[in-house]
Amino acid sequence: MDSLEPGWTKADVLEQTGHVVAVKDVSFEVKEGETFVVMGLSGSGKSTLVRCLTRLTDPTAGQVLMDGEDVLAMNDAELRALRRRKMSMVFQHFGLFPHRKVIDNVAYGLEVQKIDKKQRYERANEVLEIVGLSGWGDYYPGELSGGMQQRVGLARALAVDPEILFFDEPFSALDPLIRREMQDELIRLQEHMQKTIVFITHDFLEAIKLADYLAIMKDGEVVQMGTSQNIILHPADDYVQEFTEDVPHSRVVTAGAIMRPPQPDDEPEQFPAVHPETTLHDLVPIAAEYDARLSVRNEGGDLIGIVDRRTLMLALAGQKVNGS
Amino acid sequence: MTQSLGAKSTTPISAQVQRYQWWLFLAVLLLLWAVLRFVPWDAFTFPEAWNLHLREPIDAFRYWVIGNRNTHWMFVYFFDPLSDIIDQSIRGVENFLLWLPWPLSVLSVTLLGHKLGGWKVALLAGFSLLAMGLLGLWEESMQTLAIIVISVLIALLLGIPLGIWAARNDRVDATLRPLLDAMQTMPAFVYLIPVLLFFGIARVPATIATVIYALPPAIRLTNLGIRHVPYETVEAARAFGATPRQVLFRVQIPLAMPTIMAGVNQTIMMALGIVVIAALIGAGGLGREVLVGLQRLRVGQAFAAGLAIVFMAIMLDRLSHALTEVDVSQRRSQKYGRGRWDDVKDRFPLFVRRYAYLLLLALLIIVTFAVHWFITDLQTFPDSWHIPIEAPIDTGVRWMRDNLYNIGNTGVGTGPFSDFLTIYVLTPLRNLFTIWVPWPVVILAMAGIATAAGGWRLGVATAVGVLFMGLLSMWIQSMDTASQVIVAVALAIIIAVPLGILSAESNAFQAALRPVLDFIQTIPPFVYLVPVIMLFNVGRVPGIIASVLYALPPAVRLTDLGIRSVDKETIEAARAFGSTPRQILFKVKLPLAMPSIMMGVNQTVMMVLAMVIIAGLVGGGGLGLEAVIGLAKTQTGRGVEAGIAIVIMAMILDRMTQAWAKKWQVVEQH
Repeated sequence: MDSLEPGWTKADVLEQTGHVVAVKDVSFEVKEGETFVVMGLSGSGKSTLVRCLTRLTDPTAGQVLMDGEDVLAMNDAELRALRRRKMSMVFQHFGLFPHRKVIDNVAYGLEVQKIDKKQRYERANEVLEIVGLSGWGDYYPGELSGGMQQRVGLARALAVDPEILFFDEPFSALDPLIRREMQDELIRLQEHMQKTIVFITHDFLEAIKLADYLAIMKDGEVVQMGTSQNIILHPADDYVQEFTEDVPHSRVVTAGAIMRPPQPDDEPEQFPAVHPETTLHDLVPIAAEYDARLSVRNEGGDLIGIVDRRTLMLALAGQKVNGS
Repeated sequence: MTQSLGAKSTTPISAQVQRYQWWLFLAVLLLLWAVLRFVPWDAFTFPEAWNLHLREPIDAFRYWVIGNRNTHWMFVYFFDPLSDIIDQSIRGVENFLLWLPWPLSVLSVTLLGHKLGGWKVALLAGFSLLAMGLLGLWEESMQTLAIIVISVLIALLLGIPLGIWAARNDRVDATLRPLLDAMQTMPAFVYLIPVLLFFGIARVPATIATVIYALPPAIRLTNLGIRHVPYETVEAARAFGATPRQVLFRVQIPLAMPTIMAGVNQTIMMALGIVVIAALIGAGGLGREVLVGLQRLRVGQAFAAGLAIVFMAIMLDRLSHALTEVDVSQRRSQKYGRGRWDDVKDRFPLFVRRYAYLLLLALLIIVTFAVHWFITDLQTFPDSWHIPIEAPIDTGVRWMRDNLYNIGNTGVGTGPFSDFLTIYVLTPLRNLFTIWVPWPVVILAMAGIATAAGGWRLGVATAVGVLFMGLLSMWIQSMDTASQVIVAVALAIIIAVPLGILSAESNAFQAALRPVLDFIQTIPPFVYLVPVIMLFNVGRVPGIIASVLYALPPAVRLTDLGIRSVDKETIEAARAFGSTPRQILFKVKLPLAMPSIMMGVNQTVMMVLAMVIIAGLVGGGGLGLEAVIGLAKTQTGRGVEAGIAIVIMAMILDRMTQAWAKKWQVVEQH
């Protein structure tokens, strides 16, 4: 077949030919410094959604506001300025430029901003070091492994120091082990970057691992939105329920979710103190060692709840307890 | 409920009709034939009274052109200035090439070859150029080269921007596509006639025709290359705020370069292919040598010129092919390992290393001109170096004619083969179409075949097209050409498909076959005729043999490719069920390779048609002869009529074989 539009994703073709509505009635807000994850299976419209946000695909209707500015109303020059300074993107198949060295890939965003060579190389080397690729600048992308290539993709996105980062299934083309490594790396980076992130994935475990806030999409619509914990503990329907079944509860459910209110006879000072966001997985060794109840205290050290062993065990077994 | 019942009861009848539809169709044809035989109306010759009389107005137009050539604005302000510019550029290039000392040309081509593709390309290109001189055809070669240089430049200047435009704008692409299809379907011969009318006889119309012929691959491959750049890569550039211009020049074009260069390579080769044919309308150079040699049956002269063309083809092909290997997306840093010469290279200063080629070229220029001015003339290729191959070739041909034509009077040899093909195959088939069967039956039969291949629309279009050939008063000539095409295609497929199968089954066979096919493909079609005529004499047979040779490489390659790209797991599955190699071939590989093989058939048909037309020059008769007469004599009208008939035939054959190929593709999907 002499294909007319080589390289287009299925969603693109559908969108371009206008036969299928890829995304509809999706509406959400991303707060500054938050990691917002959109999770959905292939064909659910998540890739189209992120392309609508960046206007790589023009949505037919709707509104995209960035710092109160309407992205859809921008003309080409304004849109380019926005793309150059405010946001950047990491792609599923990396989208690297195979004809440019790694360093020129990383410096690309700065190059189109017409920043001089010395300055952009300086910045590119800095970012390469952040993603653990210092010394690889003079190689071509084709010489690097998949995981390293995506580090280049990440470095390229970080080089322009954007306010918002878009990730379109960035790790799904990687092996499971490399994938986990990259996820941990992203979490580590985000801890001190505090960027606003919109992350697309089809992997539910990846979604709950990274998300501050999570939206699950199906057939172009959002079926549920909320924190990871909330979605796991209260799936909105059978569709979401099925995803949650594979999730090890112990790594998601926190002490705050299963604790009961303190009672006068608790003698909480005797109990080891834990933070309400400690996961069950981390509670177990503590509980095992001290052979007692656990007191849940907030940052200020105030007692806000108690977790007793029975509750902990039931929660580990996936049963509903208390208010959770 | 009733509907489904009704449908059920009719199914057996329609199934019966389906099963016997071919017999029914044949019966209808026979019936029609019988009826037409006994009616008083003569249905065996196409009625002369129906002639559209196209040639008279065309000839009148030609006389008008001749009468107004010097006065009408169209010529004074458009065609003549254009013609002058082109003529002057060709003259300029030609004079420059002939002014250059020949050792300088040879050595700089060698140098260029080394820069583009290393030692192998360097030696091949340098030697090829030298060989043109050794054949005593330096001047003619430079004339031909000049026309190629200018036509290719024009074709690329038009084609690459058009290709870029088509890649960025779907509407432009949709408009250009059928146009390019038509341009590529048309045998080159057809362009020559109208071009001749507007630009007169000489190198300019030859150049224009060459540009038209060579344009499609430049446009197509530029378009394709840009469109095949991974979408995500383009998206990434956009996402970082690159302007459309930046995306185009920094990402799309660099990544599309190998494909664009493949377009340049094809453009050059097509230009070379037609520049010889263009000798018919006064292009001069090597083509003229071949043509004169053919017309006077001086096989030695034609062969020498043909050989020079082959050398030019090799030189241009290798040089431009080397360009396609420079794939930027496969770039590697040069950190690993060092070449054999790197230690030597390091001894030179950086300046010398960086500009090595330019410095060498400057050195060559200085030395050759110094020798030329102070020692001996280097502009004309020395006569004493000429290796005269004409006489031995002529002797050889005479020997072959005496000894191979009819080996030991046993009735075996090329002569009897030629006679056999003519008497028992070609002539009966032509008679079948023109004498034995009434023309309405021929039209109906062809329409029936077309319907079977591509539905009733194609059937109707075919009927109208074939009828139109008659209306152009080209019935007999068209049927003559059609019979030759059928025979040549049948022969080509009978030879090519088994070769393709062998080639797919055996790596050794494929490796042995590859250089042969490469060689056949590099030779411009015209040149095939030369050795073939030696053996098969003039007439319809040499054209057919040449067509078969010409069409062989793509048919073999596509069969090979089709079989080799059958999914490994599918073959493993067949093996696991205990199939013999033979069963695997016939039950699995061949059916799955069918779409590819059918594409080969399509290409075979088109190439055979083009060649059969060219063979009109050497006694092939049919539409080709009409076109030649139209070109060579002043019967433009007749030539145009033949040209239109050729285009119609090309379109019908193309659509029919493509429709057929598509049917197989559907089968593959199930």
